[in-house]
Amino acid sequence: MSAHSHADGKLPHEPEKATLEGRNKVLGFWLFLGGETVLFGTLFSAFLALRHQVGEGNPTGQELFQLPLVALATFLLLTSSLTSVFAIQAMHRQQTKQLISWLVITVLLGLGFLILEIYEFYHYVHEGHGFTTSAFSSSFYTLVGFHGAHVLFGICWISLLIGQLMKKGLTVITAPKVYVSAMYWHFIDVVWVFIFTVVYLMGKVG
Amino acid sequence: MAADNHTLTEERPRRHRLEGPQKHVIAFIFSVVLTLLAFALVMSGEMNETFIYIMLVTMAILQVIIQMAFWMHMKDRGHLFPIIGILAVPSSHLPVSLWHFIGFGGKQPIHN
Repeated sequence: MSAHSHADGKLPHEPEKATLEGRNKVLGFWLFLGGETVLFGTLFSAFLALRHQVGEGNPTGQELFQLPLVALATFLLLTSSLTSVFAIQAMHRQQTKQLISWLVITVLLGLGFLILEIYEFYHYVHEGHGFTTSAFSSSFYTLVGFHGAHVLFGICWISLLIGQLMKKGLTVITAPKVYVSAMYWHFIDVVWVFIFTVVYLMGKVG
Repeated sequence: MAADNHTLTEERPRRHRLEGPQKHVIAFIFSVVLTLLAFALVMSGEMNETFIYIMLVTMAILQVIIQMAFWMHMKDRGHLFPIIGILAVPSSHLPVSLWHFIGFGGKQPIHN
């Protein structure tokens, strides 16, 4: 019997927490997310302090932001968070095929979000809102761009995990990786809740 | 022999109840409703700015609590440590942010 499988050939009920390595990964990942929270906290603070420093003749957030586009992006990311939790539920049922399908849907939704963000930035630059236009534009691109980079990283990471699941299947080694990647994806969604609130909606109010 | 950290260490079989998707769908619907309310509040136009700010932040915090509880498994057993950590950060930052935001955040002179 291999140490990686149960006597009856089945995985334990929570394969992500069945080994010391798995439990350490989950705890370590919470600490990593704590660091990420501080990182985004500083970017939010910088944005809040600089968001009115637009300079003369430069576009303001009120003029630039198109709320329907932001709402669509929000909906895509929110749905992807739901599909990644469905992936974890499939993992707990040891349905590897469903797990992979939900992960693929999650990646596609994340990709849709990223395409909308790239289009949005492209549009803003054409409106004269470049990275160095004003303190507002720099802090805007740093905060929202950092979040976008996190989405891109998540897409690459989960795609690699899909490949690993197809090659190695669901084991007590692959399960913790899938579990922490889902935590990361939810965290990205949580950060976006504050971005659409603080950057876009408050920016539209004034 | 070196310890293998991948060895199963779950000693006694615990009873696990597999949860259905219902709770997560409800959390999703709550999140969508809160998001739509936030967008509608801003798109509806003229209203007191401070009131809108407070409403928006309240709805964002509510949505994050729902998502963390259900989607990041905070409501599940064994999550006391992350909960304490998460509460420590905003409780130290929020008063400063609110003071800045309501006090003079919106009325700073623009230096060119």
